[in-house]
Amino acid sequence: MNRRSFLSLSTASAAALLATAGMGLAGFFRFLYPGVFYEPARRFKVGYPADFPPGQPVFLPTEKVYLFHDPAKGFSAASAVCTHLGCTVQWSERDRQFDCPCHGSVFAADGAVLRGPAPRPLTWLEVTLSKDGQLQINKNRPVTDAYHLLIPA
Amino acid sequence: MLKSILRSIFRGDPPSTQKGRSELVFYNLWLHIHPAKVRKEHLKLRHTGYLGFVSFFLLLILGATGLALMFYYHPYPPRAYQDMKDLQFVVFLGPFLRNMHRWAAQLLVVAVFLHLCRVFYAGAYKEPRQFNWVVGVLLLFLVLTLSFTGYLLPWDQKAFWAITVGTNIVASAPLVGPVVKVLLLGGHSLGIQALLRFYVLHVAVLPGLAAALVMVHLWRIRKDGGLAPSPSGPREPSAPPRETPIPSSPEKSYGLMGIVTGKPTFEVLVPEEEEAVFSYPYAFLREGAAFLATSAAVMALALLYNAPLSEVADPSKTPNPAKAPWYFLGVQELVSHSPALSGILLPSLLVLALLFLPYYDGNPSRRPRDRVLALSLFALVVLSYLVLLLIGLYFRGAGWAWVWPWAKGAGGGA
Ligand code: HEM
Ligand code: FES
Repeated sequence: MNRRSFLSLSTASAAALLATAGMGLAGFFRFLYPGVFYEPARRFKVGYPADFPPGQPVFLPTEKVYLFHDPAKGFSAASAVCTHLGCTVQWSERDRQFDCPCHGSVFAADGAVLRGPAPRPLTWLEVTLSKDGQLQINKNRPVTDAYHLLIPA
Repeated sequence: MLKSILRSIFRGDPPSTQKGRSELVFYNLWLHIHPAKVRKEHLKLRHTGYLGFVSFFLLLILGATGLALMFYYHPYPPRAYQDMKDLQFVVFLGPFLRNMHRWAAQLLVVAVFLHLCRVFYAGAYKEPRQFNWVVGVLLLFLVLTLSFTGYLLPWDQKAFWAITVGTNIVASAPLVGPVVKVLLLGGHSLGIQALLRFYVLHVAVLPGLAAALVMVHLWRIRKDGGLAPSPSGPREPSAPPRETPIPSSPEKSYGLMGIVTGKPTFEVLVPEEEEAVFSYPYAFLREGAAFLATSAAVMALALLYNAPLSEVADPSKTPNPAKAPWYFLGVQELVSHSPALSGILLPSLLVLALLFLPYYDGNPSRRPRDRVLALSLFALVVLSYLVLLLIGLYFRGAGWAWVWPWAKGAGGGA
């Protein structure tokens, strides 16, 4: 074996080795990335408008959403997931604000950050009326805090 | 008969002779990691605090008790939580084993940390032990990830929310954060998949890695010439030159050992006769005593204090206050002040600074009075973390608001 063929052979071997390792690694991570997520639906019905009379916001525990019903403006929904590190915020009727128990973030009734490490206001979610007359919330459609669904009586 | 059986197992001379004492060490798979003789100085409690040994023994205790717990544990919610209740109330010795595992894990974090401090203080990470320091930092990282993954397994409220916050800190890392979080959880939020993944990491992947690294760590101590001598003592001789050529001889063919040129570093450092003692019995007795003391401490803690267990995990309701395990509270206090990035950026910088310490600390001296800057910087970092930790532990109540620990109803730590 001369110098030239030795060099090309070793380059080829090194390249083959790297490619195999790379493919193995990529395959490994792709394997770990789930092909299907068994998780609560991101678009869901919550009940008929009549079930939610105006007043205190209602907490929907499975979906972690607060549903508001303002007599003048209509329905709106806020995600209860703190924008800091994902703890569930709690509505305080007395102070009319959301408190996060984890690192003390406080959000106003419109979701704006009043205090604490939260980087963003709470996320407001689209509320629509589905065909069967139920309220439907879509977590894939964030909206502004001005968004409301008014159902004429 | 009995004698010949024993002779077939233990081949060396009886340990009444010097030859026998040496053979007892190097004819034994488990003991031969020791040299036949060790420096007297290294056996002193003052020299190492036996902290490395204590860490090692705690790992053994964790392995044994963890294996026992695995006989009753299903990594499946909410069964996982019910298994904890079973362990607490119906399994014979269940509370004792669970307590031992929990307290040994917490002691391990303390022991490894103190071991790191003592190695730093002794300057034992300097030439030729740089790489063993790196192995040590990796072990520290493994110990922390082991306690992080183990913390989720009881599937109670504390576990659920501490790990929710922890994995969201991971997710806030730039670029790769969100993907790493999905890989770690097997989903977008903490659920069935996440528990299984944490379980596999906790009982198979991480212990396997830790075992491999501990072997390298202990083996490297020998290869680096044994423990570093006391920092105030005389300088160590530096490693011998390696240029001795392979001797060529027509009469003799060489085995693998013959090809290894130069003297191994540790041979050069064989101590003078009057400074050294045989490992058997002097080192083994002391290590045995350290093992007994460690086990006794863990058992005493397990008898006196019960491992906590809060209500079953409820993804919709965060307990107030939600606190991480106490040794992570410094990080939690940090992230409560600024965006999650400080939970990623600062710790990563710290880990990198530790990892590469032997390579940027160019000061060759190991004497404390030549290292005033290094020692004070180290003390500053350690003290700041302790302050943050104590604040998180005693001064934070509901909604992470400041409370005085003596005020009524102040939130205790995890
Ligand atoms: C699971 C974790 C660990 C185990 C089981 C372990 C075990 C040991 C043992 C048994 C020794 C012998 C002497 C002694 O007791 O001090 C030792 C020495 C040493 N360890 Fe560790 N260790 C661990 C973690 C670490 C960490 C976190 C570091 C530093 C970052 C480290 C760096 C060193 C160094 C440099 C030595 C040599 C010290 C000298 O020559 O004086 N180890 N280790
Ligand atoms: S998770 Fe809400 S303040 Fe940190």
